[in-house]
Amino acid sequence: MTPRGVAAVGYGTTPYYKRGTSPHAERKLLLMAIDDAAAMAGIDPADIDGFVSYGADQQDGPRLTGPLGTRELRWSSLVWGGGGGGSAGAIAQAEAAILSGQAETVVVYRATAESTSGRLSSAVIQGVFGVQYRAHGIDAPAQALGLRTQRLLEADGVPASALKAVAQASYHHAGRTPHAVGRDVRLTDEAYDDARLIAEPVRLFDSSRENDAAAAIIFTSAERARDLTSTPVHLLGSAYGALGPRWGELDENHEPYAASSQAAPAHRVWKRTGLTAADVDVVQLYVNFTGPPVSALIDLGFCTADTAGEVLTFENLIAPSGSLPINTSGGDLAEGFLHGMGNAVEAVRQLRGESYNPVPDARVCLVAGGPISELSSVALFSTEPPA
Amino acid sequence: MTNERDEVHPFEGRVDSPYWDGLGAGELRIQRCQRCERWSWPADWRCPACGGYEFRWERVEPVGRVYSWIRSHLPFVAAYADLVPYVNVLVELPQAGNARIMGLLTGDEDGIRIGAPLTGEFRPASPRTADLPVLTWSIDARAAA
Repeated sequence: MTPRGVAAVGYGTTPYYKRGTSPHAERKLLLMAIDDAAAMAGIDPADIDGFVSYGADQQDGPRLTGPLGTRELRWSSLVWGGGGGGSAGAIAQAEAAILSGQAETVVVYRATAESTSGRLSSAVIQGVFGVQYRAHGIDAPAQALGLRTQRLLEADGVPASALKAVAQASYHHAGRTPHAVGRDVRLTDEAYDDARLIAEPVRLFDSSRENDAAAAIIFTSAERARDLTSTPVHLLGSAYGALGPRWGELDENHEPYAASSQAAPAHRVWKRTGLTAADVDVVQLYVNFTGPPVSALIDLGFCTADTAGEVLTFENLIAPSGSLPINTSGGDLAEGFLHGMGNAVEAVRQLRGESYNPVPDARVCLVAGGPISELSSVALFSTEPPA
Repeated sequence: MTNERDEVHPFEGRVDSPYWDGLGAGELRIQRCQRCERWSWPADWRCPACGGYEFRWERVEPVGRVYSWIRSHLPFVAAYADLVPYVNVLVELPQAGNARIMGLLTGDEDGIRIGAPLTGEFRPASPRTADLPVLTWSIDARAAA
């Protein structure tokens, strides 16, 4: 029988270690995360038959089947593109694998530890910054994203307060999340404003800091999920890609320049599900820096450049009282940075009622992957199966 | 690690090699489609407008305007560490189909803003610039006034 829907049945995460300090090698971290996800799902890890990751991940399926004792490998794929652009795209590939019948039990994951995949630059940027950048002193995501964020602020008129609100909401949620790396940071206005500049307009607390960590989510058909758990988290839709006129790796010549590349996958997810931004209860955004998620919220339809200042306030962005709670675990900025994988985990956690910052009666949660990347991705989860 | 977008060995095999040759000769050259005349930047092998593979490299004036800018406070590139903090500009070239190229801003930074007019200066290859000739940019105070 062809499955009609897909659901998440378990997740696992390791601690977020400071970059370079994991006591375990990268693959061991990942195997432990997969074991935890399988235990939550109530399945034997050897029954996982599909493996999907994204970006620069080095732990492909055939590297995992040995230690997992995989009975049959049926799907193994990677979403191309640097950083976290494919973080929700990997979920789209799991969905494609399950709905098409190629695989039944697919794990979506990301793992990185400096002892295996090297310093941040090689683990993140995948050679995006060639000599057209480097010859001029530009060789870091903070700088390229700084250029795009400056344009968002100065040309599109988005107030810098929106960036600060994203940072403060993230650290606020981290403060109530025991495992969050930023749990002890109280990000007052003064702390944010007085922090050192990284690449103007990007300040210290606008920036994520990469961790050694692994996380995994196990997906299967919605029909089977109901037999496995009382709290399946249904995938309503997912998509990845980009929409022109000019998107891709173009040495800062993409258009529209300060947009997020979220418009295309968002449009497809809204069209497929019949939902809009107004139906979303909580959002987990990719926050490598605070500019891209603001751009994403505009492209996703939560606000416009003109209304960003009034919609994107600290009060609005926090659970349980805000109307648009984001990154309820602290997210990439303050829970820990694993190229966006933590956002999908928190979406599942939130809809299972296990978040440390629960959103009252949350039914629909959106995950955005890698805005202002060469491609980006969207996944929409719900406590209820698609209508 | 994936290689960079235009990586080819030897360097002369890169699609943007004529750009660097031009800078070395004191000329800013931008790729343009031979068939449909579309400006093509960043340089590539195929014209997305007409499907052509024949290009020429057209000399344009080294002037432009600020499309965006940043001021880097960390030594992201070791060879630039002594310049920190330094300003980079993303320069829009209206005379080349609004192609955008990156560069270092030199001189007065006070007038830095999107739209500010810029004048380029050719600099020889050096260890700082990854052994490539580059353009650096300064705000054109007369035009800005």
